[in-house]
Amino acid sequence: MLMQQLLNGIVVGSVYGVFALGFTLIFGVNHIMNMAHGAVFMWGAFAGLYAVTMLDVGFPGALLFGAVGGGLLSVLLDWVAFRPLRKRGASDFSAIVSSIGANLILLSLAQQLTQTRVMRFPFDTFPIKVYTIFGLRIQLLQLVIVGLVILMVLGLVWYLYRTSYGRQIRAVAFSEQTSRLLGINPVAINFQVFFISGALAGIAGVLIGLVFNSVHFMMGEPLLLRGFVVIILGGLGSIPGALIAGLLIGIVQTMTVAYISAGMADAIVFSLLFLVLLFRPKGLLGGASAAVRVNRQ
Amino acid sequence: MTFFNVYTPLFELALFNALLAFSQYIVLRAGVFSLGTAAFTAMGAYCAGVMATQYGLPSWMGICAGTLLGAVAGVILSVPLARLRGVFQALATLALVQIVLSITLNWVSVTNGALGVNSIPRTVHLSHMLIAVAVVTYLLWAIGRSSIGRAFDIIREDETVAVSLGISVPKHHRIAFTLSGMIAGLAGALHAHASYSITPNEYGFHMLVMVLAMVVLGGRVSVAGPIVGAIILTSLPELLRAFDSYRTVVQGAVLMLSIVFLPRGVVDTALSWLRARRLKAGTATKEARA
Amino acid sequence: MKALRLENIQRSFGGLPAVDGVSLTAPPGRITGLIGPNGAGKTTVVNLITGLLKVTSGRIMVGEDDMTEAEAPVLARAGVARTFQNIRLIGDATVLENVVSGFHRHEKVGMVANLIGLPAMFRERRELEERAYVLLERFGMTDLARHPAGSLSYGHQRRIEMMRALAMDPKVLLLDEPVAGMNDAEAYSLADIFRGVADQGVSILLIEHNMRFVMSLCEHLYVLASGRLISEGGPDHVANDPKVIQAYLGG
Repeated sequence: MLMQQLLNGIVVGSVYGVFALGFTLIFGVNHIMNMAHGAVFMWGAFAGLYAVTMLDVGFPGALLFGAVGGGLLSVLLDWVAFRPLRKRGASDFSAIVSSIGANLILLSLAQQLTQTRVMRFPFDTFPIKVYTIFGLRIQLLQLVIVGLVILMVLGLVWYLYRTSYGRQIRAVAFSEQTSRLLGINPVAINFQVFFISGALAGIAGVLIGLVFNSVHFMMGEPLLLRGFVVIILGGLGSIPGALIAGLLIGIVQTMTVAYISAGMADAIVFSLLFLVLLFRPKGLLGGASAAVRVNRQ
Repeated sequence: MTFFNVYTPLFELALFNALLAFSQYIVLRAGVFSLGTAAFTAMGAYCAGVMATQYGLPSWMGICAGTLLGAVAGVILSVPLARLRGVFQALATLALVQIVLSITLNWVSVTNGALGVNSIPRTVHLSHMLIAVAVVTYLLWAIGRSSIGRAFDIIREDETVAVSLGISVPKHHRIAFTLSGMIAGLAGALHAHASYSITPNEYGFHMLVMVLAMVVLGGRVSVAGPIVGAIILTSLPELLRAFDSYRTVVQGAVLMLSIVFLPRGVVDTALSWLRARRLKAGTATKEARA
Repeated sequence: MKALRLENIQRSFGGLPAVDGVSLTAPPGRITGLIGPNGAGKTTVVNLITGLLKVTSGRIMVGEDDMTEAEAPVLARAGVARTFQNIRLIGDATVLENVVSGFHRHEKVGMVANLIGLPAMFRERRELEERAYVLLERFGMTDLARHPAGSLSYGHQRRIEMMRALAMDPKVLLLDEPVAGMNDAEAYSLADIFRGVADQGVSILLIEHNMRFVMSLCEHLYVLASGRLISEGGPDHVANDPKVIQAYLGG
């Protein structure tokens, strides 16, 4: 039973990790806390769902549509909500407020579209196969999810560390001014960053929609809130941090639901966030430095 | 008179929102990015509601206790929170809102869980709300003109300058948190006594967004900012009855458009425009005389 | 009256020394110059003195007090004031409000009076504004008191910074390129003000890029290049020191 819950926690947690990866990527490069990332995730799930129900594209198609839909939406978000602020050199406060507004718009549009219904993927979207290994019941979907997450992470790492685009992204993350001097076009970089992070969120949306067999307009909010916990725990802007913290939160959450009570899961997860912020603002693994106090530096 | 009778609930809501906006305003003015107003409001509301329904205590005691609880929570939390900055402060206070929400949902013996606290005596009326808003307005206006307000303004704009002038940033952040908690506690307690029942979900993400929108739209420096913001955003849904289902879309758009196109808010933008005009007129007459 | 004394201070960023073993003294009543080419580490020295940066080694003395570890607000309250090389004013606030903010360390009214708006608070505000007007008069900016600081010219903004620093009634005053971007007439009118301030017993450390201006104002100069002091002495001595000439011309 314990092992079973651990497994479920790892599966959910790895999807949290993917979601948080996009979140942390945007923060790492643009220093923006994108409060609408949960809405991108939700719309990604809808894109996948509609692709399956209307175009009958099956599971791979759902992933593709989820990724492209999430990616494009995320780019649009950047253009509408963040770019005007970046041009003005506005504070991170403005970016948070602007993305909260965008989040509200995306959320209520989805609500109107679905008339607040909970939607489901068709029964045959993914074959239900269950393997029993050492008494553990493992679904094929769970295996596929973990495999996909590993693939996506490797892909992202390859992109960031082995391609010239990735080098440019990291240069902008290091210092936008310096990279401008090096002739790097920040518009192209932001397009890539927002597309990649939106695509990751979209895929995460499709996967979560399949795992819990429900897609609805509020599905992004808990993920966004958990996303905060994950990136703070893992250290803002840190890729391995996001993954490890994602797994950790997934496990903590499933365990709490299974052994304590469903209601306490949030209280425990957020208390964890609060404590980490107070005692280790750089995250458990270190990451972008949290601006703490104006002291001699 | 019928006009007032019909719109009394709306006025009360606007005044309640103005108090919430003040709670958000005072932290933002000091450059503290706290989103904790909803949490402090919940504390004040539940404190007053529980005291009235479970212990049968008079309303004024509950309201005082709720205000005090908000202030105490503000003081205690400000100590660790004043160490953080920017997004980290925002996230920590967001976590606080979630924690308080979980507590109100799960501590059923006291809070009655998701059902909320019901049949709270309705002892607070429009006149009380008006007095509360007037008092808080005066206090915040006075603070704004005092040494503390000057320090807030400098800290918000440039912390390096602030410390170079001898201003202690943590001390002023603590003051701001405490005031924010106190005002929100008062607002919550008054609201509990003005509305029969309270439920946990009133104090979640939605309230946080609303309150933030009011201050961003109204303005973060002048005391009139939060009031104007509260009035606009309270009456907006009434004016937009026709588009009822798209109300939240409009709210979101207001938030986005105002931060993009009116980053300083309606009131502060208008005030600086007026000031510029007055100065221009002043120099013009001087030149004419010379 | 307090002298400022740096004893062999050192600071490195990521292993590279930005300030390397600088010792200097700025005595009361004098304007001491610290000059050097761009990138010599002058502003780093100012940030080390004013408590924004930590020294790697060495000591910073203000009068008889060791201020090496003191945080910025403590230094400010002890009477160390500064201006910023890249002007840092509250642009939306008026000139008057910017100057008044410099009085922070002299504010005496208690917390309660401030919080609940007692008359004492309003009285103090009026007094500080009157004192600010005295400064505005001295700098010839009374007419601009109600203008937003951000809307004024560069020269005016420099003056506001100066007034804000003087409002602190400093014992030690650090001027970080105070006349940068001004024409000669403007610069020399400020020079008179600096002399007046020094005559009241303030220790002034004038950080400048403009050699000519410093030469005319300071009796004693220190020359910084690549984080090290390469020369010190009277203006004539320094101006003819081959090391100085080389540092300025050779880059």
